[in-house]
Amino acid sequence: MKDNKIDKSDPPENGRTRRSFLKGLSIAAAAGSAGLVTGGCTGEVASEEMGLKWEEYFKKNYRLMSQKEKDETVERLVKLAKIRVGVDIQMSNQAPINNVLYGYAFNISRCKGYMDCVEACVQENNLDRKSKTQYIRLFEMEPGKLDPSTGDGKYHHEVPVEDKFYMGVQCFHCENAPCIKACPTKATWREPDGIVVVDYDWCIGCRYCLAACPYWGRRFNWGEPQVPAEEINLKQHYLGNRMRMKGVMEKCTFCVQRTRQGKLPACANACPTGSRIFGNLLDPDSEIRFVLKTKKVFRFKEELGTDPKFWYFMD
Amino acid sequence: MKKLSCYSGSFWLGLGATLLTAQLAMASGQSLLDKIKGATEPVDNTKIESAYTLTAKTVQAEETYQGGTFRVLARKDKITRYRCSVCHTDKKVLVKNGALYTHSDIAINHGKGQNKLECIQCHDEKNRDVLSDAAGTKIDFDHSYKLCGQCHFRQKRDWLGGAHGKRETYWAGERVIRNCTSCHNPHSPAFKTKMPETYSLPLDD
Ligand code: HEC
Ligand code: HEC
Ligand code: HEC
Ligand code: HEC
Repeated sequence: MKDNKIDKSDPPENGRTRRSFLKGLSIAAAAGSAGLVTGGCTGEVASEEMGLKWEEYFKKNYRLMSQKEKDETVERLVKLAKIRVGVDIQMSNQAPINNVLYGYAFNISRCKGYMDCVEACVQENNLDRKSKTQYIRLFEMEPGKLDPSTGDGKYHHEVPVEDKFYMGVQCFHCENAPCIKACPTKATWREPDGIVVVDYDWCIGCRYCLAACPYWGRRFNWGEPQVPAEEINLKQHYLGNRMRMKGVMEKCTFCVQRTRQGKLPACANACPTGSRIFGNLLDPDSEIRFVLKTKKVFRFKEELGTDPKFWYFMD
Repeated sequence: MKKLSCYSGSFWLGLGATLLTAQLAMASGQSLLDKIKGATEPVDNTKIESAYTLTAKTVQAEETYQGGTFRVLARKDKITRYRCSVCHTDKKVLVKNGALYTHSDIAINHGKGQNKLECIQCHDEKNRDVLSDAAGTKIDFDHSYKLCGQCHFRQKRDWLGGAHGKRETYWAGERVIRNCTSCHNPHSPAFKTKMPETYSLPLDD
């Protein structure tokens, strides 16, 4: 329960949001007055957008919201997506499932480096196509080495290469996550089911979390993320794959929009080799527990005490 | 290291040695591991609601998993030439369409070195609609894991437990896993080399 408590003091000024809000306001106001003169409908749309933005701007930190307030922000974001991008998204704020703690295991003797996982993740999570953002990085590794920084993270040739092995790295959802401690606005936290999430509307883009993460887990939006309208995954979660904005941090969420529905994360689902094992660490009969029990497992940079919920193993 | 005997190359030996040091470092960070060890009550996954249902055809496995039952992806609906008895009757098979009929598209690349497996080590000689093991026990195509498991004991044990193979779509709900032949072509079971699905840009840190 201790984990759920957060500081209720006012957050620092949110520079990014305030700036873009003010800009939006003046445009909306201009459009609004034009609407008054001509009696056209653009003004109505603009003022609706303005109203929604206004309420969005003054909303609380997600963790302090009542269920009603969560429902309202989701409803506003759905409307805003319709106005701005013209798509009908479905956004959930589904809460964690009781008695579930997610864990992941990666079989380094089985992965072939095909990268189906990387591609599935990009599609599922609406990742920026322009800067080619990817949450997962696969390293082609030399025999005997177990530190991905010694591997090749940008190989592009037929795989697998004989005598090489492949090691996937993504956010490890550390129980003792340094990124959470580094955040000055409490925009990133650990959910009760162990998923480390970001409230994109509270992130001020300072990137302290990026510097604090020892695992290349976080990605920053230097520009406005771009996804072709027809490729947008419409099934979204507030804490997951909803559209991000310029200047905010994002990262793997174990596909919160899927996993809280009982589904595998997109990466584990897409893997044709079965190298990616995902499940409930609190269920002694789960596959992940079988791996922890019967295989030699290790975690990356264990000595840092971050307690990642992501293990590597081999047969 | 005996588990790794089939890969006696220096590759895995080196990896194993590094792993050992990683294991020693594991003593720290007890809290999470203690929490996991402390969770001994089975969780009823079937209670977890989902908005989606599985569309793939499945059959109840004739095995148990952690004392409970599970399902596997069905295979018969995926086998182009099933039922085999359409052609394989008591009468002589008439060869009209050469290649397809004689299965010249099937090349066996399965076995130790030059010792390729024979068709009848897996297929029943009389009744082509079923598989059959060394003891002559008939095995349905949907349950081919029983056949594979007789020669690949370790992989089958891991498959039952969940360290080899994979679940289909869901981590929760009734357990549904892929069959051996969902992933491996029984006639040439090794995975192929190919171009990756995508590529990554250099890290910008
Ligand atoms: C379109 C007709 C046809 C169908 C359908 C068919 N077969 Fe055959 N099969 C043949 C012919 C023709 C031969 C070669 C003659 C023979 O050995 O009887 C053959 C031979 C075989 C052989 C022996 C090959 C050898 O080299 O000894 C096996 C094993 C076999 N078939 C298995 C199957 C199985 C299993 C199926 C169903 C999944 C199947 N066949 C479906 C036509 C067919
Ligand atoms: C290692 C065991 C094994 C051996 C050896 C083997 N088969 Fe098979 N064969 C299978 C299994 C299992 C299937 C069903 C595959 C599936 O689930 O898709 C199958 C499927 C087939 C099919 C149907 C394929 C299709 O998609 O229509 C034919 C035909 C066939 N085998 C013929 C042969 C012939 C001919 C030989 C010898 C040259 C042979 N098999 C050797 C295990 C074997
Ligand atoms: C009659 C025994 C037998 C049966 C039945 C059998 N296999 Fe094999 N399999 C072998 C042998 C022998 C090898 C070679 C092992 C070696 O090289 O050490 C092998 C190798 C393999 C390999 C490794 C291939 C490679 O080149 O890396 C795979 C994968 C495999 N089998 C899958 C299967 C599957 C799936 C089935 C069931 C459809 C099956 N086997 C049934 C005997 C069998
Ligand atoms: C999710 C897909 C998947 C399923 C299901 C699966 N395997 Fe595999 N298996 C693999 C991959 C990937 C490899 C590595 C293959 C390679 O190196 O070519 C492998 C390797 C093997 C090998 C070679 C030795 C080893 O351990 O690497 C054997 C034997 C084998 N599998 C047997 C089986 C049997 C028997 C079953 C069913 C009980 C099964 N597999 C189910 C994906 C699968």
